[in-house]
Amino acid sequence: MSRLFLRSPEAVAGTIILALLVAMALAAPWLFPRDPLAIAGPAMLPPFQDWTIPLGTDRLGRDVLSGLFHGARTSLAVGLAAAATSIVVGVLVGTIAGFAGGWVDEVLMRVTDAFQTVPGFLLALAFVSVAGPSLGVVVVAIALGAWTQPARITRAEVLSIRERDYVAGARVIGMHPAEIAFREVLPNALPPVLALSSVIVAAAVLTEAALSFLGLGDPNRVTWGGMIAEGRAVLRSAPFLSIVPGIALVLTVLGVYLVGEGAVEASAVKRGNA
Amino acid sequence: MSDFRISRRGVLAGAAVLLASTAMPSFVFAQEPKKGGRLVVAADSEPRNLNPAIVASNGVFFVSSKVVEPLAEASFEGEDGLSPRLATSWEGSEDGKSVTFKLREGVTWHDGKPFTSADVAFSALQVWKPLQNLGRVVFKDLEAVETPDEHTAVFRFAKPTPFQLIRNALPALTAVLPKHVYDGSDIAANPANNAPIGTGPFTFAEHKAGEYYRLARNEAYWGENQPLLDEIIYRVLPDRAAAAGALEAEEVDLAAFSAVPLADLDRISKVPGIEVVTKGYEALTYQLIVEINHRRKELADLKVRQAIAHAIDKEFVVKTIFLGHAETATGPVPKNDKQFYTADVPGYAFDVAKANALLDEAGYPKGADGQRFSLKLLPAPYFNETKQFGAYLRQALAEVGITAELVNNDSAAHQKAVYTDHAFDLAVAPPVFRGDPAISTTILVQSGAPDGVPFSNQGGYKNADIDALIAKAAETLDAEARTKLYYEFQQKVAEDLPLINVADWGFITVARDTVKNVSNNPRWAVSNWADTWVEK
Repeated sequence: MSRLFLRSPEAVAGTIILALLVAMALAAPWLFPRDPLAIAGPAMLPPFQDWTIPLGTDRLGRDVLSGLFHGARTSLAVGLAAAATSIVVGVLVGTIAGFAGGWVDEVLMRVTDAFQTVPGFLLALAFVSVAGPSLGVVVVAIALGAWTQPARITRAEVLSIRERDYVAGARVIGMHPAEIAFREVLPNALPPVLALSSVIVAAAVLTEAALSFLGLGDPNRVTWGGMIAEGRAVLRSAPFLSIVPGIALVLTVLGVYLVGEGAVEASAVKRGNA
Repeated sequence: MSDFRISRRGVLAGAAVLLASTAMPSFVFAQEPKKGGRLVVAADSEPRNLNPAIVASNGVFFVSSKVVEPLAEASFEGEDGLSPRLATSWEGSEDGKSVTFKLREGVTWHDGKPFTSADVAFSALQVWKPLQNLGRVVFKDLEAVETPDEHTAVFRFAKPTPFQLIRNALPALTAVLPKHVYDGSDIAANPANNAPIGTGPFTFAEHKAGEYYRLARNEAYWGENQPLLDEIIYRVLPDRAAAAGALEAEEVDLAAFSAVPLADLDRISKVPGIEVVTKGYEALTYQLIVEINHRRKELADLKVRQAIAHAIDKEFVVKTIFLGHAETATGPVPKNDKQFYTADVPGYAFDVAKANALLDEAGYPKGADGQRFSLKLLPAPYFNETKQFGAYLRQALAEVGITAELVNNDSAAHQKAVYTDHAFDLAVAPPVFRGDPAISTTILVQSGAPDGVPFSNQGGYKNADIDALIAKAAETLDAEARTKLYYEFQQKVAEDLPLINVADWGFITVARDTVKNVSNNPRWAVSNWADTWVEK
């Protein structure tokens, strides 16, 4: 699988980008031990002027490079946490609905429908503006709109798996239904959901940036979306303040997509071979 | 089209003007105001209620001051800084219990009915006193308004009320409404609040939500040869970055209230045909203050408040956040107020070492992690500058070992959190100084404001000396003695720091240079623009 995965150039490029980002996120506290929100120099210093502040400073004199590194932490943390939350919730709901069937299925799927009819970003906006912006709230807000897709896919998979012979076998030997659902059915329903995970992570990173851009991110942390919003007021005189975090955002989303694409292709090739 | 065709005669005339300009420059530059034309203005908000007599705020005045007029307007040259509008003269009695206004004759409302003293009496008693945000304070003792004839109104007060205060309140608080439109109706819900009827130089023509407001020339205006413009269009451009672009593209002629971000001014001032005007906001000074919740035991300690004052680098705030378009503040009255300001107050120079020493002295030593205690900081979301100052204050406090956790809210949630729920430790607010401390400044430190009153003392601060001083000034009739009391008030506030005044700022107007008579009074953006004209 990993050999197949690394055979596609997209996957390799994606992996390199993501590895770099993770390295940035992990190295941030060592390379930039100061609070990234601290004032580091004169305000609006353009890039490549002062080598202690290579990417310049923003309107208050905060180091852009330090913000970029610490922002990578926030973006990745929120992206991964939101994706993990929505996949866990989605898979649970999907498995229960698909395996139990009957009215439980009906109720859970109608709830899923209800969430799907509201645009995810709107839901996130509403939730954050009510609950107040902080990192945990942002994660929940993003997950709120993202769990429905994994739920639907899991349910579809479970519906087909539960009719398989080995499930019937498990029933016959007297396993508890919950045990069958989570031990026998769920693991086999997971792969298509995991393939979806890269899309969810990428969307979560973008949603977090959009929320911060609108001033609904956690103000006590550096986020790329917040940096872009900060720079927007001076877009004409200091465009680098928006462009630098913008590029970081594009690369992150691109990296996540490429890795996801590579994973899907590799698994498709594997299935084809089998 | 024919206007743009180049004719030989036109070229010759142009050449003659050019020749003349070299010979007699002063003659050419003294331009004769021209009638006609349209002024397109950038508007960044669409107030729901456009009635300036109920909502005395600059967002409302910006549009409605051209339609509904006050008794007098602020002026650079006029006596006591005023020039007459609907009142032609005003006089206070010796005992401070009455003020007599002579009203302008021959004025008609936009619907054709004559303007009389009954309209003034109705506005004062039914609107300014009971309904208006600021009038509630200034006109609280107004008992009756007598109208001996159609053009005289005598205000009677239950308690002596300083004439100086009434005078200073005239421009912002006394927009006169037509009695025949409002009488007998639910004033707060009257449809005229959304399509105001007044006596001003422009009539309210239409409002397309999300697009524009249109005001048209009032042909029956009392001012001689006024107004000069045919119409004013307010284009709604909520995005601040858009205003600068629209000016450069010649889509709008004027953007007031710093609609062009400060950081963009330097660049846009170099664009030919565009002027940056810093005048015209002298009577609309905004103050950047740190509101303090005195219910927190750390903040109830004067030493801690002094430490916070010493931790703030006011010069940095003016230079970096306001890019020089502000003044450092010393106390609750801004430096540009000639009547009341005194520099003779305790100052708090930027001094991190002193701030640290004061905090140690107060009994809050740094812990192992370098932190003393942590606070919740709520910057008001209304301006870019208040938000940025919030971010700066967080860092300034970190330097002295105080952890400030920023909490961002939208306007409604911010007002509820600070002024109703008191769920803050420090807040950043931008109150307005309106020419007299009694109008909207003393309320920031006076005790006894009921919960929920925005821009009032909701920090639980109570100082009997300051309360007594405010009460005494409110009934001192002699202007000089009253001013002295406000000197003392400034000293007491600077000494005890119920709040911390950081900077005072006015706004910036950016206009195309074809717009004339811009910023010719201290409240220009919210005045009637009767003499504004556009060169074609």
